[in-house]
Amino acid sequence: MIKFLKLYERFGIFLFILVGFVFLSLASPNFLKMDTLLNIIAQGTYAAVVGFGMTLAITSGGFDLSVESVMALASVFLAVFIPRIGIPLAIVIALAAASFVGLLNGLIIAKLKVNPLITTLAMQTIVKGVALLVTGGKMIVIKQKQFMELGTGKTFGIPNQIYIMVLFFIIFYIILYHTSFGRQVSGVGSNETATRISGVNVDLVKIGVYILIAFTAGLTSVIRTSQALIGMPSMAAGFVLVAITVTILGGTSLTGGRGNLWGTLLAALFISMVYYGLNLINLQIFYQMLAVGLVLLIALFIEGLRVRYLQAAKAKGIRV
Amino acid sequence: MILKQHSARVIIANQWDRFGLPFLLAVLIAVFAGLSESFRTVYNLISNLQFAAMIGIGAIGMAFCIMSGDFDISVGSMSALVGVLGASLVPRFGGVVGVLVTILLATALGFLNGVFVTKLKIPAFITTLGMMYIYRSAAYIYTTNTPVYIKDPFWLFLGNGVVLGVPFAIILMVFCFAVGIYLLRKTPFGRYVVAVGTNKTAARLSGINVDGIKLAVFTMVGLFVGIASVVTAANLGSVNPGMTGQGYEFQLITAVVLGGTALSGGNGNLLGAFFAAMIVTYLKNGLGMKQVNSYWQFVAFGLVLIFAVGVNRLKFTLLGMRET
Repeated sequence: MIKFLKLYERFGIFLFILVGFVFLSLASPNFLKMDTLLNIIAQGTYAAVVGFGMTLAITSGGFDLSVESVMALASVFLAVFIPRIGIPLAIVIALAAASFVGLLNGLIIAKLKVNPLITTLAMQTIVKGVALLVTGGKMIVIKQKQFMELGTGKTFGIPNQIYIMVLFFIIFYIILYHTSFGRQVSGVGSNETATRISGVNVDLVKIGVYILIAFTAGLTSVIRTSQALIGMPSMAAGFVLVAITVTILGGTSLTGGRGNLWGTLLAALFISMVYYGLNLINLQIFYQMLAVGLVLLIALFIEGLRVRYLQAAKAKGIRV
Repeated sequence: MILKQHSARVIIANQWDRFGLPFLLAVLIAVFAGLSESFRTVYNLISNLQFAAMIGIGAIGMAFCIMSGDFDISVGSMSALVGVLGASLVPRFGGVVGVLVTILLATALGFLNGVFVTKLKIPAFITTLGMMYIYRSAAYIYTTNTPVYIKDPFWLFLGNGVVLGVPFAIILMVFCFAVGIYLLRKTPFGRYVVAVGTNKTAARLSGINVDGIKLAVFTMVGLFVGIASVVTAANLGSVNPGMTGQGYEFQLITAVVLGGTALSGGNGNLLGAFFAAMIVTYLKNGLGMKQVNSYWQFVAFGLVLIFAVGVNRLKFTLLGMRET
């Protein structure tokens, strides 16, 4: 069983993708066309990029519920600032605002030692309120059409989002696996006290993690806002579920300390395939939420098995 | 000297538990009554208590859950799902069946949450996060996103009826709190919940069936959410698959934490949750009456939760306990 679970940890998500792939290519004649595939990958960008941030947060033993509000905030900031100061500066401001929320989260969690769940739950409500206040609850249409290029344009025939996704994957891969910060994140997640005693500034690591995840949420919001050309204070309702699902389905351990970025990336693509499949059979949007929720339960089930067998193995003295 | 200081600290912390929240509630009512004419009408004060029942009754289950060291954040969606299911049965089977089904179904869903949490050995908030979206989408799908109206007199009575001049919802809430406080203070079950929340391993070693307690706690959350859903549905006259229970988990956690229950589990205060539920309700109503932009209310409630955590932390520091 342990062998199976170890194998699953490494290759399980491929199995999901494979099943989805076979199923969709049988179900839809359009599926195996280049455009469709690229589109599915591009649609996976949102879940993937925020998923990278969430992977980091969960690896550090934390959690962030406020991502969807951060996305909403960044979206309305873009809509408000683009007509006034131009696209590049507005993007900078939106990302800065998002990161600032992350900084607040990090400060409350690290310095005041408040449970991450409660902190980000409160922050989710506060930031949603602020986003609604900025626009008075309305959506704001962005008239600068060239902003659309970012999210809908193609470079060398490949949608721009895919480049962003790949870029962020590389950045987070380096951060998590090839920097001392990444090792400290894993350390905090697996044993905070030991990490602190060995001289790591744990508070700083946590603050960094929450800034990074808020930044990924802000960036995702920039892409989505550019596609819709609307600043939406109600953007991305329920997105936190997707971000957490891809992270856990990808094999990042909920007990902290072990992040799996490849898994997150592939899980995001899998979720994107699920959405495509649901669109094929013309199901309402509510079924998307249901499907993602069920996928999360399956992922949790497997993670639960893993935790249980690891504990049993530890009790028997087997090294895993 | 040290001893004296210590005792003074303990006294302050204990007095906060006893008088702090009622005092806060009184100040809040006084301030809003001074500011708003419509707020100080007897009608408003009483009808508000009815709304307090929604948060108050739900907070009992959540208090037990947080005391045992877990969270259930599926309560809002659960409330919507059982509400639409129960209400949709009324035309065919009558109000009594509708009410019973609502409560039983909520209890069953709470039990289901408990099974997942205890069997999977995964932090409850992630499991219940998944359930939250599953319940919500099930409510949407079942109703194809249309509200279900309640016209049955029996059901409406449960939320709006008056017995001897006292709204029935308030009687129900007080009764539920009495049961909750009895369970917590006078039965082994209450002790076990606190023990599990304080130190799971120690509880297990001393022979407590930890999983059984957790299962019972999550079932209780469902039960109280079911009762609260019935009252709320009657209050509003309808159940909306999208709107019902939005932010409910947030309100319940705020009420419980403001009420003085430690986030890390183990330390519970149901009477505090009772007053905190009223504070949250009157704050909401008062801000609404003063025509404060409803978006500010989001900000205000987020800050209230952080304030509550801060007060708790201060209190436990004074008592010499560590809160994490």
